[in-house]
Amino acid sequence: MVGCTYAAVPLYRRFCQATGYGGTVQRRETVEEKILRHAQDGTVTNREIVVRFNADVSDGMPWKFIPTQREVRVKPGESALAFYTAENLSSAPITGMSTYNVTPMKAAVYFNKIQCFCFEEQRLLPGEQIDMPVFFYIDPEFETDPRMDGINDIILSYTFFKIAEDKS
Amino acid sequence: MSAGGAFGGNRGARPVPPEKGVFPLDHLHLCDLEKKEYIGCLKTSGHKSEICRRFSKKYLECRMAKNLMAKQDMQELGFWKEDNSEVSKEENMNGRIKG
Repeated sequence: MVGCTYAAVPLYRRFCQATGYGGTVQRRETVEEKILRHAQDGTVTNREIVVRFNADVSDGMPWKFIPTQREVRVKPGESALAFYTAENLSSAPITGMSTYNVTPMKAAVYFNKIQCFCFEEQRLLPGEQIDMPVFFYIDPEFETDPRMDGINDIILSYTFFKIAEDKS
Repeated sequence: MSAGGAFGGNRGARPVPPEKGVFPLDHLHLCDLEKKEYIGCLKTSGHKSEICRRFSKKYLECRMAKNLMAKQDMQELGFWKEDNSEVSKEENMNGRIKG
């Protein structure tokens, strides 16, 4: 079961990027293009959003996994960096993979991840501790969407799942 | 927490894959110092991203220098050359449009 669903993630990503299925528009503007466009337009934003971070591991995943900072205060249109820290507490190399979600769900469409550690396998040696950065951008259009009125907090949650354990 | 929603089982807002792919892990801790400076700045600045932008820029530049990130123009990542100081973004952009 895990094997099937694990294989689905990279396929899902390639499928989404190729076809635009899943809420993306046909020729999707990249985040970089959006950043440059707003810079040229002179878009100014004022509203401070507090982005908080959650970290979880699935049952049987012997990693300590925590956000490195509890929050980052950012305005829409500002790219921002955040970190998680993971440590393999077991005595065997463990490969994990993460998924994430953004809440409130209606704000998720404005939360763009420019770079992150998700959707790929990550292998930690026994005792290894590693930083996991996320570089993100809240679309400036968040600020002018009336549905986002009153939303001043966004939560980014990651969960790590165990994919494999090396037997020595 | 949707325990069953492991890989794309998220009903509602589906995760959108990142634009330029993934940050490879910094197993050799080559950019640890830059990370620590950034985190330290956040802790002393009320966690305001704007104040610590020069440190996040330095961190990404470190990654690019060590082949831990695809080399990109910093402007398309939202950094202007004035992000080495604390000039406001609005001043940056106004200057850019005129120039």
